Amino acid sequence: MSAVVSPYNVDPGIGARGGPAQPLISARGLLKHFPVKSSGFFGPKKVVRAVDGVDFDILKGETLGVVGESGCGKSTTARLLMNLIVRDKGSLLFDGETVGETLPLAQYRRQVQMVFQDSYASLNPRLTIEESIAFAPQVHGVPAAKAIARAHDLLFRVGLEPGRFAGRYPHELSGGQRQRVNIARALALEPRLIILDEAVSALDKSVEAQVLNLLLDLKRDFGLTYLFISHDLNVVKFMCDRVMVMYLGKVAEIGTRATIFGQARHPYSAALLASMPKMDPSERTMEPPLSGDPPNPIDPPSGCRFHTRCPFVEDVCSRTVPPLASLSADQSAACHMAVPGSGHSRAPNLGETVS
Amino acid sequence: MAVIAADTVAPVPVILKSPGFWRGVVRRLCRDPVALTALGVVVLLVLIAIFAPYIAPYDPSKGSVIRRLKPIGTPGYLLGTDELGRDMLSRLIYGARLSLTMGVIPVPIAFVIGSAIGIIAGYAGGIVNTLIMRTIDVFYAFPSVLLAVALSGALGSGLTNALVSLTVVFIPQIARVAESVTTQVRKLDYVDAARASGAPARTIIRVHILGNVLSPIFVFATSLVSVSMILASGLSFLGLGVRPPDAEWGLMLNTLRTAIYNNPFVAALPGLMIFVTSVCFNLFSDGLRTAMDVKS
Repeated sequence: MSAVVSPYNVDPGIGARGGPAQPLISARGLLKHFPVKSSGFFGPKKVVRAVDGVDFDILKGETLGVVGESGCGKSTTARLLMNLIVRDKGSLLFDGETVGETLPLAQYRRQVQMVFQDSYASLNPRLTIEESIAFAPQVHGVPAAKAIARAHDLLFRVGLEPGRFAGRYPHELSGGQRQRVNIARALALEPRLIILDEAVSALDKSVEAQVLNLLLDLKRDFGLTYLFISHDLNVVKFMCDRVMVMYLGKVAEIGTRATIFGQARHPYSAALLASMPKMDPSERTMEPPLSGDPPNPIDPPSGCRFHTRCPFVEDVCSRTVPPLASLSADQSAACHMAVPGSGHSRAPNLGETVS
Repeated sequence: MAVIAADTVAPVPVILKSPGFWRGVVRRLCRDPVALTALGVVVLLVLIAIFAPYIAPYDPSKGSVIRRLKPIGTPGYLLGTDELGRDMLSRLIYGARLSLTMGVIPVPIAFVIGSAIGIIAGYAGGIVNTLIMRTIDVFYAFPSVLLAVALSGALGSGLTNALVSLTVVFIPQIARVAESVTTQVRKLDYVDAARASGAPARTIIRVHILGNVLSPIFVFATSLVSVSMILASGLSFLGLGVRPPDAEWGLMLNTLRTAIYNNPFVAALPGLMIFVTSVCFNLFSDGLRTAMDVKS
């Protein structure tokens, strides 16, 4: 393979080929159902609809935030993007090229790397920090000495002095330091996209802020694109250019930060935002915006998945699945109330003539 | 993407190397008096076995009808004599050779084969795992004593056949432990990260799996040494292992059982040796388990 000759970005065109307007990632109809044990031998085969037809784009150079309750399919989406689990259906375009067809999986993997939530579990306890970072380049044919030297550069870039940290083992580092190492490892292959799966959620607030700033610096310096998964809406508001709200394996709403945080159209997004703790005591929320747990993804509700908990539920909501409708250039929502002529009483009227 | 600019490269004077994993294990082991004592006893037994001809006061197979079943403490025969008038001390010393051989040899062989099977099954997962592990379960269904006896019986008596059957008995047990540890490690994020980097399976197993699964399997295998000794003694007791007049603790226990009423203490001596050795192996493997736990 040509990777032996020049290990990094053999074809510098990957990721820059389609021009700046071409989304870096276009996911279309991503679907992953996990089979679960059915009761008894002859029971119907059941599946957990972890990710159930998800469409989204990640634009070049942006940070796309993904928010939603636990179990809504955020992490599964990330793992599908990484091809760590095989998608049942759907296609993945990386800069206009179909992953697995015109763009081989091995090349795609060098372009997309991931930082996991558990900083300890994501580092091999038996490898020193420098060995962990140098592993991936060595797999792609970089000589060991060069890979180690590069690992030291990266450690320096993430704010860890190589002289002190390179030879240490993961358990000798703090959580924040370990997460910096994980970021350095993700950078080692010079990827275009980094998926941050709750990457700062387990850190102290002060450390979290440092790591977030580090991520912003690295993004600027290396021209990275981030997919930022989090359940902390304040962090998402700080980090992200666009936000995708997921509910039970589907996209509820996707839009720019301003539209989602300013004028969310999906009642679930609105409820999620209302759950953010307020700084102003006079705006304290006394009523919980949503009650109960999300329904079981093995047996999701018919029609709109949110209808069991939605304050505006009507007949149409349990009958038909609302499509992810584009409301403006900046915002799309999957709610009958946002689609003209959907049959919901709060839906906007169909054109001017009807009114 | 620009390679990192030259001015950002930090000067790298000295890299502080952490002491390696095994160094830490040895250091922690040295602080454990029980494990150290057990290890000392095991080492002593091995030395006794190696230097048996120099230590043993008499020929272990030379008996005499006039001094049969002397009690412990008889002048000249410190631990008495057996039913054929052979010196017990000499026979116990020589017995250590065969008993330790039969206890120790099958375990490393089974360790290598069982680990390989278990790691492959655990890493592959899915249908491969099911096929391998269900086949293993067939062996697992038999009690290990029964399986060892059945295999030895089928192969015929003798030292080599006994070793082979003990190895076969231990492979499924080690494979099962290896499979469960590998399955756990495989789910960890660092394996996912390695897969995401595009590394082939054999590289991931070599770099990321092996180092993290071998020590728990190794600890389990150490504890099998005592089981192996007891099973080997059992085989000899049944006449499927070593044949008389060779000295082996299990066999000695068998031949002395007729003397249990006349001279119970002498008859119990080989059993005591088996007990002490297996307890020491177990204590050492417990200590090793604790010492290998990085978080403690």
